[in-house]
Amino acid sequence: MSNAADPVNAGLLLADEPGLSAFGTDPWWITLIKALGIFVFLMVCVLMMIMADRKVMGRMQQRHGPNRLGPWGLLQSLADGVKLSLKEDVIPRGVDRFVYIAAPMIAAVPAFLAFSVIPVGPEVNLFGVMTPLQLTDLPIAALLVLATASIGVYGIVLGGWASQSPYALLGGLRASAQVISYEIAMGLSFVAVFMYSGTLTTSGIVDAQRPIWFAIILFPSFLIYLVTMIGETNRLPFDLAEGEGEIVGGFMTEYGSMKFTMFFLAEYVNMVTVSAVSVTFFLGGYLAPPPITTFWAGANEGWWPALWWLLKFMGVMFLFIWVRGSVPRIRYDQLMALGWKVLIPVQLVWITALAAIRILTNEGAPAVVIGGVVAVFVAVVIASLYAWGRSVKRRRAAEAAERAEERKRMRDDPMYGGFPVPPMTAPHYGTSVPAEDLTPPASTDKEVTGA
Amino acid sequence: MELYAPVLVLGAIGAAFVVVSMVVGSIAGPKRYNRAKLQAYECGIEPTPQPAGGGRFTIKYYLTAMLFIVFDIEIIFLYPWAVHFDELGLFGLIAMVLFLVNVSIAYAYEWRRGGLEWE
Amino acid sequence: MITETSSVPAAVLSAPTITEQAPHIDYWLLSPLLVVFGAAVLGVLFEALVPQARRRALQLGLALAATAAAFVLTVLQGGSIPAGEAGTTLALGSVAVDRVALFLQGTILVLAFISLLLIAENRRGESAFAAQAATVPGSEEERSHILAGSQHTEVYPLVLFAVLGMQLFTAANDFLTMFIALEVMSLPLYLLCGLARRRRLFSQEAAVKYFLLGAFSSAFFLFGIALVYGYAGSVNFARVSEAIDAGGASLFEDGSGEPLLLIGIALIGVGLLFKVGAVPFHNWKPDVYQGAPTPITALMASCTLVAAFGALLRVFYTAFGASVDQWRPMLWTVAILTMVLAAVVAVTQRDIKRLLAYSSVVHAGFMLTAVVAASPEGLAGAMFYLAAYGFTTIGAFAIVTLVRTHENGPEAGELAQWAGLGRTSPLLAGSLALFLLAFAGIPLTSGFIGKFAVFEAAMAAGATPLVVVGVLSSAVTAFFYVRIIVLMFFSEPAETGPTVIRAGGLTGSAIAVGVAATFLLGVFPSPVLDNLVPQPSEEAAEPAVATADGFTR
Repeated sequence: MSNAADPVNAGLLLADEPGLSAFGTDPWWITLIKALGIFVFLMVCVLMMIMADRKVMGRMQQRHGPNRLGPWGLLQSLADGVKLSLKEDVIPRGVDRFVYIAAPMIAAVPAFLAFSVIPVGPEVNLFGVMTPLQLTDLPIAALLVLATASIGVYGIVLGGWASQSPYALLGGLRASAQVISYEIAMGLSFVAVFMYSGTLTTSGIVDAQRPIWFAIILFPSFLIYLVTMIGETNRLPFDLAEGEGEIVGGFMTEYGSMKFTMFFLAEYVNMVTVSAVSVTFFLGGYLAPPPITTFWAGANEGWWPALWWLLKFMGVMFLFIWVRGSVPRIRYDQLMALGWKVLIPVQLVWITALAAIRILTNEGAPAVVIGGVVAVFVAVVIASLYAWGRSVKRRRAAEAAERAEERKRMRDDPMYGGFPVPPMTAPHYGTSVPAEDLTPPASTDKEVTGA
Repeated sequence: MELYAPVLVLGAIGAAFVVVSMVVGSIAGPKRYNRAKLQAYECGIEPTPQPAGGGRFTIKYYLTAMLFIVFDIEIIFLYPWAVHFDELGLFGLIAMVLFLVNVSIAYAYEWRRGGLEWE
Repeated sequence: MITETSSVPAAVLSAPTITEQAPHIDYWLLSPLLVVFGAAVLGVLFEALVPQARRRALQLGLALAATAAAFVLTVLQGGSIPAGEAGTTLALGSVAVDRVALFLQGTILVLAFISLLLIAENRRGESAFAAQAATVPGSEEERSHILAGSQHTEVYPLVLFAVLGMQLFTAANDFLTMFIALEVMSLPLYLLCGLARRRRLFSQEAAVKYFLLGAFSSAFFLFGIALVYGYAGSVNFARVSEAIDAGGASLFEDGSGEPLLLIGIALIGVGLLFKVGAVPFHNWKPDVYQGAPTPITALMASCTLVAAFGALLRVFYTAFGASVDQWRPMLWTVAILTMVLAAVVAVTQRDIKRLLAYSSVVHAGFMLTAVVAASPEGLAGAMFYLAAYGFTTIGAFAIVTLVRTHENGPEAGELAQWAGLGRTSPLLAGSLALFLLAFAGIPLTSGFIGKFAVFEAAMAAGATPLVVVGVLSSAVTAFFYVRIIVLMFFSEPAETGPTVIRAGGLTGSAIAVGVAATFLLGVFPSPVLDNLVPQPSEEAAEPAVATADGFTR
């Protein structure tokens, strides 16, 4: 049943979201051009991002990075892609063939979808047709973004499972646990945005940021989004799923040739998508950065906004590389603790505080009341920080005491822990050093390892 | 439907690319049979025999998945409230805070009982 | 079938309206539920924050106080309903506060209070519950937890949540609320079933079985709701009833929606009859009753049955009251099957808990005859029956907890071991005999009055064959009840006889309350019974016969 044949229905659908009237009216060839444009943009972005990744990282580590193929080595990743496609397509024995082959597709295809609702610019004249620089917009566009992000996890966990190898299975499980953990915090960070925009359409959210970017008024949400965005895409410092020092290649261990490329592609396309989402939800989308509009009224018209969008987008992409170059990989328990014990509680308190203050402002409460509420929340935050600090200190002290006890036992009883140790009085020991001098001072926090 | 069709168009383009490149990859590459190449990679040692169905893994992952579902549903309740925040007003706020408090109590229980610890 | 194809989705789509003003909810009328809910939530918080050593006393105190307070509030509300009125609905018509709901809620709260006493029984640090249910049975880890004296004090909040679900289940006035209540009631029970201290694997098996079958029946229930919603265009009981009167929602031509309704009634019936434990949906009962910790069995056999029947009565009297001719044959069949099959199978049982489980199934069959009657008298009879049976069954299970194979051993389930118990511990055996006689429906016990009320109502409604079957089935069940009494009093004590451990104060009072209630309700039933049966004057005052049954709409 199409809407054209049923005007009552179409009117109803669109009436709820007035901003959507500009969408769904494109001729088919405009839609096709836009879709192809997005696809090409994504592919070029991925190639350039891999390049930039390696070159910027190289500079950060005082080396050159790839510089052989093409001008400044720009064609390196293209050559890598061609090389990968010429590799042997190994399907290991014992894998679940169907799932093994389907997994890279499940990972890669949804990655493309989310970009369809990203607004890159306002309405422009495209080959004589006035159309927004956005493939489409939905009443639930923000949910589409989250949904496609979750479907990608299936590819990871199925790939890990189908490989029938311990590393792959563990990597797949780790990755999915990590992605779903960070997805919660990511979802929560959007709540504040929806509260201020009052809509789930991406174009509406960008529009709502005309007075001021959400990144500024909703700074905590933005900050948490940046963290979860890196966690969600399995990038350093959160790339435990493919930490080569621990579990080889993680869920991709058994994959080669183009199948491996697809996982790789999905990862980078996901990076592009989450960056674009951060620009849309927090950085004002295609709107010109604030000072420009004051002296140049035309900055938000025509094709210019696409430039602003691209600049912001590249800024966020650079952040990925910057973080990767600066921060070491964290442990898995730290990763999960950060997700579950820090990001989520902080979000919940922040959302509650924000909601309370916004309601009070809406209802026209006196400034004293609002100030009081703010003070209460600040007090809560400080109190919980204090309590947290104390508990950490207590735990550290308890651990130190435990270790000291352990060392004492080791000292008193050489056989402690079941290690066969020759008696200290054995003749060949000669004049041995007293055991006390061998132990490190009890005050250090360092673990005693090995000897 | 007009709104959703472009998403499918983009999806179709993506899927076509993925399928074509995977087919190309499997045709273009050489085929050199080698028994060792077909074994699961375990850093050179003999691969561990895999039990049917992938074997057992720690229950922590299930717990995380269940916790995820709880919180995901919480988020699903939060979104409509956030979108219509101004219309729902104080009643909506109180209802939502009560809901959040209830979820948080279960969360506090799990936290205190070590459900969030990873070794 | 659907006449206005194009306008239907439009009507549905235009439905979402954002309420500008907050819905008005009378929190005072909800207070019994809120008290229990608050206590349960607080209990979870205690679990998280209070040190282990102090938890049990705190949790028990909280749970008992909450049930007592909720009972007082329920009674107060019962008193505040003006004479001649059924009651009222609140929270946008989703919860009913009427005499039936309040009576059943009060009953549930009292029975839950007594069950809590049983649950709390703790002998030398050993309760009926596993020290640490998450450990592998028989493992070293489990042993270390037992030696360390670990306890699952989560039991108390779980019971409170279950009680909350039961309270809401009897009061729910639309299908969605009822489904939520069903789940709130069931989920804690699934868990509690798996916590038995002895025979851990058996207990876990019972829990999994109960969970799987329960989830299955919930699915039936939900599917039925969907169909009825499709037929009536609403999940509210009053709207459903109106829709049935009007021959379905406006989209249906006359009577064309009937199949939807009938299948819906059948599926919802499956969900509810499962909870009630009527044949052919009774299979979970013996296994679960046997595997679950006995105090939890007592809770399920009394409170859950009350709640399930409360819901069953409300759904079939109010929502489907208008199509009584359609569902009556179905319930006829189920009632007869339940009474006959369960009674016959019960005769072959050798384990006391299984036997009590089958007996519970038979009693469910007796109460179904009251549902079939679909009259105010039937409702009153069922309510009285539920209360009377609840007290008796808790007492019986309390006695089961006391008879052990040896000192500090598991419960002696085998009936053969109970031989001669009347000589070694006459008081205990005497109490059990009284309970069994009440189950059998011997005069001067509450069971007799209950059965009489139920059968009388069924007879008045023209279900005489049903009553005949009921009486015959009663006779069969009396046979095996009396057999136990004979076994206890007139046979030599078995050589490997059981050890009867001394009843603690908590178990003792549970048994005492059971004995007192069984006796008092049997001898002086009129104060309770008269209040349940609607007075003739009221009935005459009501314009429609269907609203005279005490349910609000």
